[in-house]
Amino acid sequence: MTKPGSYETWLLNRTGLANSHTLDVYRQNGGYKAIEKVLKTPMSPADVIGEMKASELRGRGGAGFPTGMKWSFMPDPAKDPRPRYLAVNADESEPGTCKDRVLMEKDPHGLIEGCLIAAYAMRMQAVYIYVRGEYRLSYQRCQAAIDEARKAGLIGKNILGSDFSCEIHMHKGAGAYICGEETGLMESLEGKRGHPRPKPPFPASFGLWGQPTTVNNVETIFNVPFIINKGGAWHAALGTKGSKGNFLCGISGHVNKPGVYELPFGITAGQIIENFAGGIWKGRKCKAWFPGGSSCALLTGNDLDVVLDHDSLKARGSSLGTAAMIIIDDTTSIARVMEIIARFYDHESCGQCSQCREGTQWLSQIFHRIATGHGQPDDVATIESLARGMAPGKTICALSDAAAIPTLSAIRLFKGELEECVRQHRDPISYKRIEYAGAH
Amino acid sequence: MALPEKLVREFEELAKKYPDRKSALIPALHRCQEELGGWISPETMEDLAAFIGIEPVEVYGVASFYPMFHLKPVGRHMVSVCHNISCELRGASEIMEHVCRVTGAKPYGTSPDGKFTVWPVECQGACANAPMIDLDGVYHEDLTPEKVEKILGGVK
Amino acid sequence: MTKIIVNGVEVDADPKKPIIAACHGNGVEVPHYCYHPGLEPVGSCRICQVEVQQGTMPARVMVACRTYPAEGMVIQTESQKAHDTRRECLEFLLKNHPLDCPICDKAGECDLQDYTYAEGQAQGRSNEPRRELEKRKSLGDVIVLDEERCILCSRCVRFFEEVPKQAQLTVSNLGSRSVISTFGDKPLKGNYQGNIADLCPVGALTLKNFRFQARVWNLLKMASTCAECSRGCSTTVEVLRNGEVKRFRPRENQAVNRWWMCDTGRFAYAHPNQKNRLSGALIVGQGGAQTASTQAGVDALAAALRSSGKVAIVASPWCTIEEAAELQSLAGALGAALCFFSPEPNNLKDDLLHTGDPCPNRRGLSEAGLAAVKQSELAGACAGAQLVLLVGERIGELVGNALSATPGLAVLDTVAPAQSNCRVAIGVPNCTERTGTWVNIDGHRGRIAAAKTAPHGVAPLTRTLQDLHSGIKAALQRS
Repeated sequence: MTKPGSYETWLLNRTGLANSHTLDVYRQNGGYKAIEKVLKTPMSPADVIGEMKASELRGRGGAGFPTGMKWSFMPDPAKDPRPRYLAVNADESEPGTCKDRVLMEKDPHGLIEGCLIAAYAMRMQAVYIYVRGEYRLSYQRCQAAIDEARKAGLIGKNILGSDFSCEIHMHKGAGAYICGEETGLMESLEGKRGHPRPKPPFPASFGLWGQPTTVNNVETIFNVPFIINKGGAWHAALGTKGSKGNFLCGISGHVNKPGVYELPFGITAGQIIENFAGGIWKGRKCKAWFPGGSSCALLTGNDLDVVLDHDSLKARGSSLGTAAMIIIDDTTSIARVMEIIARFYDHESCGQCSQCREGTQWLSQIFHRIATGHGQPDDVATIESLARGMAPGKTICALSDAAAIPTLSAIRLFKGELEECVRQHRDPISYKRIEYAGAH
Repeated sequence: MALPEKLVREFEELAKKYPDRKSALIPALHRCQEELGGWISPETMEDLAAFIGIEPVEVYGVASFYPMFHLKPVGRHMVSVCHNISCELRGASEIMEHVCRVTGAKPYGTSPDGKFTVWPVECQGACANAPMIDLDGVYHEDLTPEKVEKILGGVK
Repeated sequence: MTKIIVNGVEVDADPKKPIIAACHGNGVEVPHYCYHPGLEPVGSCRICQVEVQQGTMPARVMVACRTYPAEGMVIQTESQKAHDTRRECLEFLLKNHPLDCPICDKAGECDLQDYTYAEGQAQGRSNEPRRELEKRKSLGDVIVLDEERCILCSRCVRFFEEVPKQAQLTVSNLGSRSVISTFGDKPLKGNYQGNIADLCPVGALTLKNFRFQARVWNLLKMASTCAECSRGCSTTVEVLRNGEVKRFRPRENQAVNRWWMCDTGRFAYAHPNQKNRLSGALIVGQGGAQTASTQAGVDALAAALRSSGKVAIVASPWCTIEEAAELQSLAGALGAALCFFSPEPNNLKDDLLHTGDPCPNRRGLSEAGLAAVKQSELAGACAGAQLVLLVGERIGELVGNALSATPGLAVLDTVAPAQSNCRVAIGVPNCTERTGTWVNIDGHRGRIAAAKTAPHGVAPLTRTLQDLHSGIKAALQRS
């Protein structure tokens, strides 16, 4: 079950076909059967949500919230008749993460069909796909797919002759990681600075323009047509106890074959590296790795036996996040790694919350000094204390936590190495760098 | 209003996608940047403010928040170089050095001949094909110093 | 009302307001920066953290400004966990904050100083250079911004959006590069700029005309009412030891001005701080104007009034209703016509506070029965009078030469009158030097209070009028 070809796949099946992004190829490969099934059977919106709950699908944007449950939070339209929206989170900016891009560039109709079914289930008339500004090809492919689908009567009024009408709109972000946070995304979609909103209220009661909204990740929505076609029970039979189905794993860094792979839950990190990513590069060993993007705790080469799913990683002290594995070999300086990670959060903090605005800058400054040989004796202790002041749950959104968690793990696992940098007044593992002051 | 007619018409169509006109702001800023020299001038911000029906200071607050918007003039070609972790692990520092050498620009700076601006950026979602640059909106991935020379050398 | 428990005491909480309002309303101080009862809560500064326990859930530290009361909620504002969280937050805020206290106007009324003193740590741990930004950025005629001191609470940004309802400021850039900005170098506009200096919890936004003027602990503060229009915003008058008014600040009054005042009223120092005051009296005789004591002036004026035949009295629009009552007694005793000077509306009326009517007590004086008389109508209203008594601060300036044809004037004003037909002048206190009541445009009563003493020899106007009345009565009895 852990080697390529030895398990059922669906997510990337069409992406290898020529012109996979076109309506014709999509239709030739089972496309738009699920929305037909929903509208012609017909399945009621409650039926659809029921299948999603039965599937036990968990969100793929990093938080892993059960999708069926999230959909059921939308209010009863009889009690709350305000317009309501699906916002698809295609902001994909978590370091190491490049999986949604594959789906949007190569199989955009799959996303469109998922959106239609989701909008039907939650009784929405409009969907906004918020794509990060840099993903120009993804935006173009999705827009072209929307245009094709509209011409085929699949988007707009009375879809496939039913009472169901739905619009799908593309929207662009402009380079801010924080707009991948669901409330930051909504602020940005409204034409404002991407400042996350305090919760409560939650998007289902106060979302886009103050109206009921659900925000879902691209890969999450992409799963929906398959679950409708094959049934929620089919999905729930695959995977592990708390993590059902398959997931897209992006693996990058010091491996021979970085890439985006569709994997079954239950596979271990070591199996992914050996069986899919060609092993650690240059004959080296794995020193440290992120399992799910940079916002989770680091693990070491001794942790490659961990199953890459929600519960197993949590038990191991980390988290699945976006399943973006970043592999770091044994010639790499952890101080340098953390310098980059800390700089990233400093750059991306929206600046609302005192702890995050000041703390991300402070961590970045300290890691920079340590990595460039200017560490002070109390630096490592200070970093630990600051990170504890930034998390958990002390701020409007989790970016503060996202900066604190890898920091605390780096100290827990590599304290000696960091202190050695301080003691020796240099980073013993020299790393090529260009010094430049940030401008933005 | 100094915005070109064709852009104003485009933005009116764009605004129809949303129940609130303000949502057109960020897509409109992109289009202005693309069509009006690669950056957003104060005049453009005033024009967009008038179009949306908000104050120029609000447009400024939005434009200055997003890293993709340049509020100062830039070179004719924009070279964004990712310097986040997955790219760094695959040699982004060398790529940055090469890009700067070939273009003659410093990071966050423009070459003396005004041809290139080099802009370090955070993760661009090309991690499995690192390191990368984004040249004028097109990703170039799996880079080596030689590829950098070829790609940038071929820019007119 | 929802019943919640705050520090062991059951209180009633308005379910529509966050728990911080219930705490503050029951004498429990919860530190706050971004929260202000007059603005929408945003929950960004994170300093208002208190421990909240609800039902069977374990107690959690939460921000009080974005937590709403629920029946049976238990709030602890002083638990160790709450203190620790706030202490951590303060350390983050002080990391970049410049050590400007010795030169900062806000010292002594600074929320960062106060909360740090209460629960911050004595030593910061930062080895990093502080961010370097503009320290004296002019935002126009009223406000100067010190970007380094700013803690990004965004109250100033939200004020312009929510109160005068026109955005003028924004947070520009993001994260640790965030800076409060106008658009380009455009100065701030409008008549409400001064409010952001009040709102700013630190010394980032300060008033240009208060810069380096006084240490706030040397200011004597008295609750009073603004003199500049018929809104009568509640104010605090702040006087420096040498007797100069250094600041007017708005005082919360939900019925009148909420938390705000306009810049016209805020910067109306000129009249209260007038230099060339009339202290005592001036009596015009054969040899010209002679200075005299207030009592001598009163005696001379009483004599003039008795012997004058027809008398008219014109009250200043700044007279209080107590002074109006005295004037009515006096008018009754003299059989004199009594009215008040009605100034023309100015062009300062707006949708917020300024009424455009410079007369702070129009309604009070009208309800007391005094007729409003414009400058153009003055001569007609006083036709036939041998002596016109002009009473109250600024009356001389208002009347001008409208009564130049009157045989004689007597002026009770803060300064010596310019009118050449003035026989007697007596000095009076201005509105920061006496107590009394004005009634605003909506009928709300506003007290003015003596925040400083009138020049030596100047008596309260009510007393001067009573003495005048007694002087006249005594003479009538004698005669």
